Amino acid sequence: MIRLEDLTKVFPAQEEAAVDDLSLEIYEGEIVVLVGPSGCGKTTTMKMINRIIEPTSGRIFLQGEDVTKVNPDKLRRRIGYVIQQIGLFPHMTIADNIATVPRMLGWEKKRTSDRIDELLETVGIDLSYRDRYPKELSGGQRQRIGVARAMAADPPVLLMDEPFGAIDPITRDRLQDEFLRLQQEIRKTIVFVTHDIDEAIKMGDRIAILKHQSKIAQYDTPERILTDPADEFVQDFIGSGPSIKRLSLSRVSDIETSDWPVARLTDSHDEVREKMRSTSRDHVLLLDEQEKPGRWVGLEEIQHDDTPLEESGRPAVAIVEANTNLYDTLDTMITSYKGSAIIVDEGGRYAGVVDFDTVLEAINTMRPHERDRHMSPAEGEQPRERTGQDLQAGGEER
Amino acid sequence: MTTLQKAAAKGPGGAARLLRYFTMPIFLGLAGLALYLYVGTQDLDSIEQRSLNAGTLIQQTARLLELAAVSTAIVVTLAVTTGVLLTRPFARRVSPFVIGLANIGQAVPSIGVLALLAIIWSIGFWPCIVALVAYSFLSILRNTMVGLRQVDRSIIEAARGMGMTKLAVLFRIELPLAVPIILAGIRTALIINVGTATLGTFIGAGGLGESINNAIRLDRTVVLVAASGVTAIVALFVDWLAGVAEDVLRPRGL
Repeated sequence: MIRLEDLTKVFPAQEEAAVDDLSLEIYEGEIVVLVGPSGCGKTTTMKMINRIIEPTSGRIFLQGEDVTKVNPDKLRRRIGYVIQQIGLFPHMTIADNIATVPRMLGWEKKRTSDRIDELLETVGIDLSYRDRYPKELSGGQRQRIGVARAMAADPPVLLMDEPFGAIDPITRDRLQDEFLRLQQEIRKTIVFVTHDIDEAIKMGDRIAILKHQSKIAQYDTPERILTDPADEFVQDFIGSGPSIKRLSLSRVSDIETSDWPVARLTDSHDEVREKMRSTSRDHVLLLDEQEKPGRWVGLEEIQHDDTPLEESGRPAVAIVEANTNLYDTLDTMITSYKGSAIIVDEGGRYAGVVDFDTVLEAINTMRPHERDRHMSPAEGEQPRERTGQDLQAGGEER
Repeated sequence: MTTLQKAAAKGPGGAARLLRYFTMPIFLGLAGLALYLYVGTQDLDSIEQRSLNAGTLIQQTARLLELAAVSTAIVVTLAVTTGVLLTRPFARRVSPFVIGLANIGQAVPSIGVLALLAIIWSIGFWPCIVALVAYSFLSILRNTMVGLRQVDRSIIEAARGMGMTKLAVLFRIELPLAVPIILAGIRTALIINVGTATLGTFIGAGGLGESINNAIRLDRTVVLVAASGVTAIVALFVDWLAGVAEDVLRPRGL
């Protein structure tokens, strides 16, 4: 999709190259995160893709076409661009801001207007904001408009330069999740620059960890970078707790749930006792009429006791949704009574139980499992090991 | 006036803004009336009558406005263009030099510039215009440059990054965002020009300065009060107009 070949940038009046002989292949429909310490040249690298910064030497291919020498203004209209400061035009309405590129491309009024509505819906901004001005929006809303504006003419490629950098942590987290959901639908090829490894792990289908002068230290999936860092630099950059960080990459829906006896709050004591005897577990989960988890009861609690089921045992509180990541699931589990977490679907209905052992087992078997999951059809012909490791090795040989 | 009312009504505190818009003209009207009544109570001799009649006053006021309007139109065109050129990257080297030159234009006393032009060129309307342009050039040039430079770099980068040409960025982003500051400069220049244009009489450019000058030389207080009063009213009215223009032309959303 995007191929950078021997890209070098030497700024005038500087002896050292900012980016030195970088080659990188970016696959269609993936989010590739360029991450590295400040001053490593990651932003310069990204800005050479749409030639905001003209490379000193090397070539850039977009969809197989050499765009190193084409008209840069026309090139940029094919590439969405989101920067940290967002850069909305303060004297234009939200609608006019979004319409910037469609108008340059000479779209009809009707088409542009429809597109604006569609995009506002996509990024979750009310249509009544069309004729407002940027200063009337909150930081998070401006960011969404920035993304909408970048996608206005439906470019196949988006460049994002620390797009969530200037936003408070809570909003940032929400915007990241929203953006990942959006990407599920739009499947753009995205080059994303950040200095935050955690953001890189969260956002990236693939991460390029860059050293000084944009030299690639490792170019790989987040899982592989965390399990198999290429060198000490990568290890240092990931920081502490790579195994824990890995857990945030898998969802609880990816692992198998344990077999657990369930009964209903409306069942009789005998029925519940019977259920308990039929399994090796010492606890039964009771569901209410809406299939929602109600209480945990143990054998001894109902053995000789006629307390109504609604009041015996303990309330079931360690509940996670199916799309929760393992990191958060484990966190819930640790604080729970029985070291297990109940999984529910979107409607809050019971879907299964996971416990410590299942998660541990899943972690141990995760590696081969993930490889399958992350191989997209587009790159199916290339063995996955090649793409990351060889490019990285190649980068170092030169 | 309808646009004005609409703009005023839309903005915050519509009533307060309307009041602000109309206080000045009412005040100026009253001042004019007071001046007229004062002159009416005086017994005018023939010299005074020659200055203080409707025909002469209107003709001199018109001349004053003409001098101010023409010089401002010229200086706006020249100074804004120069300002735009000097803020382009290629002009980085020459810009201090040009600003220095403009500084000289303003530093030399206006009467000196007029005299100098009369000596090296000629007298009349156009030398006066040239003097006024030289004198007010700096305020517009400086404001244009400041206005363009204060535009947030990230906005320009976003615009360039979306594929706007440099020219489109200038006309659709930079200039509109600089408008408030440029307009402030133009307003200053306009006021300078109305004031300085009264000196135009010394090189035969006419205007209300003629009556003022005559009144001083012939010791005619009534004429002096009347002509200076009208000049002041004209200057304040022009300033008010410029203020209204600033409000109306400022891009919304800023």
